[in-house]
Amino acid sequence: MDTSLLPVLLGLAVLLPLGSFWVILIAGNRLGKQAATVAVGAIVGAGVLSFWSLAIWLVHYFPTEAAHGHGGGHGSEHEAGEVEQPAHGKASEGHAAHASPSHSGHAETLASDKASGTGRLDRSVDSQTMLVSAHLLGRSVEESHAGVEEHAGGAAEGAKEGPSARGPPFAGDYYTLGVFGNLRLTIGYYIDTLTVLMFCMVTLIASCIHFYAIGYMHEELHDVTDHEVTLESGRHLTRPGRFHRFFQYLSLFCFSMLGLVLAGNIAMVFVFWELVGICSYFLIGFYIERKSATNAANKAFITNRVGDFGMIIGLMALWTGLGTFQFGAYDANGDGKVEGTEQGLFELVRPGPDHHFRVPLSIALAESREEVASLVKGWRSQAAAEGKQLNEAELQKRLAAYAKEAGWLEPSSGKTPRGYWWLIIGGIGIFCGCVGKSAQFPLHVWLPDAMEGPTPVSALVHSATMVAAGVYLVGRFYPVFTPEVLWVIALIGCITLFMAATIAITATDIKRVLAYSTISQLGYMMLSLGVGGWVAGLMHLVTHAFFKSLLFLCSGSVIHAVHTNDMMEMGGLRKKMPYTAYTMLIGCLAIAGVSIPFLIGFSGYYSKDRILEQAFVFMQQNHSIWGAVFFYAALGGAAITAFYMFRLWFLTFAGKPRNEHRYEHAHESPKVMYVPLIILAVFATGVAWKLPDWVPGSGLHLAGLLEQARPAGLHGTMTGYWTELVWPDEHFAHAPEQHYSVVVPVTLLATGTALAGISLAAVMYLWGWLSPGDVRRRFPRLYAFLWNKWYFDELYAFLLIQPTHGIARLIAMFDRRWIDWVIDGSANLTRAFANAWEKIVDRGIVDGLANLFAGWVWSIGVWFHRLETGRLRQYVLYLIVGFLALFVLVSLFWSSAMAASP
Amino acid sequence: MTGLLAVITVSHYLAVGAFFFVTGVLCMATKRNALGVLMGIELVLNGANLNFIAFGSKYLRSESLGLDGQLMALFVIILAAAEAAVALAIALSFYNAHSTIDVDQGDELKG
Amino acid sequence: MLLGTFDLHTFLFVLFALTACLFAAGVLFSSNIVRMAFHLVLSLGSSAGLFFLAGAEFVGAMQLMIYVGGTLVLLVFGVMLTAQHRFLEMRTNAGEWVLSLVVGGALLMVLLQAAFSVSQWNTPNTERSQLAVDESKAATPIGAALAGVRVDKLQQKDAHLRAGMSGYLMPFVIVSMHLLVVLVGAAYLARPRMAVRNPKGGG
Repeated sequence: MDTSLLPVLLGLAVLLPLGSFWVILIAGNRLGKQAATVAVGAIVGAGVLSFWSLAIWLVHYFPTEAAHGHGGGHGSEHEAGEVEQPAHGKASEGHAAHASPSHSGHAETLASDKASGTGRLDRSVDSQTMLVSAHLLGRSVEESHAGVEEHAGGAAEGAKEGPSARGPPFAGDYYTLGVFGNLRLTIGYYIDTLTVLMFCMVTLIASCIHFYAIGYMHEELHDVTDHEVTLESGRHLTRPGRFHRFFQYLSLFCFSMLGLVLAGNIAMVFVFWELVGICSYFLIGFYIERKSATNAANKAFITNRVGDFGMIIGLMALWTGLGTFQFGAYDANGDGKVEGTEQGLFELVRPGPDHHFRVPLSIALAESREEVASLVKGWRSQAAAEGKQLNEAELQKRLAAYAKEAGWLEPSSGKTPRGYWWLIIGGIGIFCGCVGKSAQFPLHVWLPDAMEGPTPVSALVHSATMVAAGVYLVGRFYPVFTPEVLWVIALIGCITLFMAATIAITATDIKRVLAYSTISQLGYMMLSLGVGGWVAGLMHLVTHAFFKSLLFLCSGSVIHAVHTNDMMEMGGLRKKMPYTAYTMLIGCLAIAGVSIPFLIGFSGYYSKDRILEQAFVFMQQNHSIWGAVFFYAALGGAAITAFYMFRLWFLTFAGKPRNEHRYEHAHESPKVMYVPLIILAVFATGVAWKLPDWVPGSGLHLAGLLEQARPAGLHGTMTGYWTELVWPDEHFAHAPEQHYSVVVPVTLLATGTALAGISLAAVMYLWGWLSPGDVRRRFPRLYAFLWNKWYFDELYAFLLIQPTHGIARLIAMFDRRWIDWVIDGSANLTRAFANAWEKIVDRGIVDGLANLFAGWVWSIGVWFHRLETGRLRQYVLYLIVGFLALFVLVSLFWSSAMAASP
Repeated sequence: MTGLLAVITVSHYLAVGAFFFVTGVLCMATKRNALGVLMGIELVLNGANLNFIAFGSKYLRSESLGLDGQLMALFVIILAAAEAAVALAIALSFYNAHSTIDVDQGDELKG
Repeated sequence: MLLGTFDLHTFLFVLFALTACLFAAGVLFSSNIVRMAFHLVLSLGSSAGLFFLAGAEFVGAMQLMIYVGGTLVLLVFGVMLTAQHRFLEMRTNAGEWVLSLVVGGALLMVLLQAAFSVSQWNTPNTERSQLAVDESKAATPIGAALAGVRVDKLQQKDAHLRAGMSGYLMPFVIVSMHLLVVLVGAAYLARPRMAVRNPKGGG
């Protein structure tokens, strides 16, 4: 069970759904119901491989319970660690053993110099200055260095000496597509705990959804009459079932998502990113005959294009500045040594032992291109005058020295390093893509419309794949984001979570409530990532995936039973469909974050509390308006979340049936549909649980696993150059000494808000003490504002769509009036010329000549034809006449020509 | 009467041959009966034979073709026999097909 | 004087030539196909006499046997097979006659002019009186020549020239095969039509 097995297993897990896709694509029509078997087999196989990988990972790198308090233990992680093992590890260990703590930093710096090798960066900057500037929260330099030391030994020995706290990221390539100068395009992988966890989460949820879909989509097995499509003849559309095609798309979707998670470089990320987008397009538009479905699919796709445009800009900025696509380091010559290693993105922007954010020399040089050119020219001419030749390495060395001296990278107070804004552009650009995919403000409009797809698709899109992709990518690119970018992320997340939560209050479509809930929860994740809560945000991604897929599948089950999306038509359904009702209740409790404080709670409790704690610490550390805005928005959002989720549950399952007819026909879903619900409910309840600290192996829980994958450099506090804000270390909130100043109040606040939200929902919708209608009448403007989803669609229609249509009409008019005129005119001119040409030249001259010759030949033929009477006797006469003529001719010329010669 | 007293030469034979030839050709040109045409051909061949004989005769000319002329004449006779057989077969075939022996009726192949 | 200069050879030539030409003209001008056949027999017979006079007794005999005895019998059979009344006399119109005679006369003029214009052909053979009668007997040399031996050329001095004077064995064989094939072909061509032309008509 070697770790080298990981890329193979995960690569296979990615390929299995692709294989299923091809099988169903080729043999889909003949497979019938077996298409589901193929797809389910593929995703379950991928799931087995994923959990196998997790097991391998745990065997080698079992998480230790060290997250709280002594966060420095995870402080330094070297991205090149994976290619390093023999040389680098031993060297640093040797140094560390003899060096005093204050010097070990230098030793480490030297080691990493060796490791990164290419000399592209300025490595000789004094590490002390960085370290000191980094620890504003009062953590001692010694402590941090101790962590460095600990890691240096641990990571190297870890692979051999059994489980260690952290595993290095495994980066490498399956296949090199091509090398273009410095640019290597590869099919690569980047595996850390986040990757493995995402694999397990995605495959587990996707498997449940696959099983569920077998039941949900069963009517697609035969001809379907679509009651939402009316043909011109007035009848409903009847079409062949598309059961196999649904599973085909599901497989492709899973393949794309898994590939995205495994991707080892930006180029691959982008490819799979787009694949995810196109799959969602296919699935949202699954009922292509419905106008609304095709519109929704187009909307999703086009909105995502807007985000992806920003993403491309970001990718180009990063590529231009850093010159590589790889995430992790790449051992170019494959000898296992660090020389010739190509540095990955993360290492370039966070070099050195402390992994603090630094502007790479390459960006600074690219930024001041003209200056560098003149410098190089000067050096060259100087060298030429001395009769020497400057080679490339010497030039690089001189440039690095010059940059250091001029303070390009470590400027004095009040100035930013050169090229810093490139990284901001790159970060914001990539975040733009995530905004589109994860439906953040202002590109959130596509997600509610995406409810047009079949419910299993909604569940998949909303939990494990599409929207998770955006959050995952933010988490993956986290080391590249500057504090300024993080601020933007936090702000967008904050706006999104609050806005979507308020819209969800008034929605009556059961799936739309869940859709806005998703947007809101994604906002939470973004906010969390934005304020520095990396683990919190990604933990919420995982827990949310479980309870949101559960909620969606439950709503699908309800819709399946009552054939409507409108909650006003439901009510009292818990008696008819108990499994669905109580699993959905678990989902609601989980999303609301209900708990017995400090003891135990649903999964949402753990992740949401972490987010709130981080936001709270952020507020504490920054005496700025933003801290308060972020924290209170999150807190308010939590309350609203609890309110609308229980509103949904009460309206659907509690009380009296509001539509007797639909109630009569309601029934519990088949086993193949509610068993996945139960599985997901179990996970939604307990996925974030952890054992008490004194139990051995208590480190094995969701947060602990994610802690292993925390990107390098996030152990400390960050500050940006353009902002005064401080990003506190995530561990700070969980330090024992902070327990009563952070954890307790936040937990109590969160629980309180959740309970308040639930109570309000109960008051209004369960016991009926407060009539929703009254409230509505009391705040008509607010209600209309929320009911119309903050008028976003109208705003976009006014700002973008109508101007576009106007311009299009204008251009069309121009097109018709002028361009068509020119084209028609030239066409007419050509035709007239052609006509004239035909008449004069073709018919007159060419045809005339040809006809003339033909006429001659014809008349000659006709004339000779008269000789040919077919009468034998005449021919004899011709013979004689011919002979005579010949004789006469010969005798005429005989005398002159022949007789003269002898 | 001096003609009767003159010594016969090759030219006399050639003259008779020419007469045969012209008669044969005229037969071919004027007879509408296919068998008449056939007879014309026989006359033409006979005219040619007379020439061969004349040129091969030692009595008429000292440096004659000799035996070669006679052999040629023999082959021509054989050829004429073969030709007569085939032509007669063709004539009968024509007669069967057209129910007539008039060669003027056989003009289907005219252009 | 008259008798002294009278040459029997010349007399006989004139006799046979006139007969032959007369009957040839008879063939031409007769319009009855049976008469034409009769005239042709006489004409060819007379020309056989001319062959004899020229010293080609064997060829003359062959002329009588094959031509007069064979070919013409064949022709007469043809005449009999097709001799329905309307075909016995088929007249050609006068215009064609005139045209043909003009053209034929021109041809005759040309040929006669050619026949008498070469002096070597005009001069009588002065050595013919020295020729022995038996020297002109040709049956045996012809047979030998057809078998591949040219006995008449044995006195040729030049061996090189003599080598080229091989006999007529090869042409003889070819002619024999040719005759056979022709007869088979003629029999095939002249076979009665057995096939039913119109299947619907029944048969």
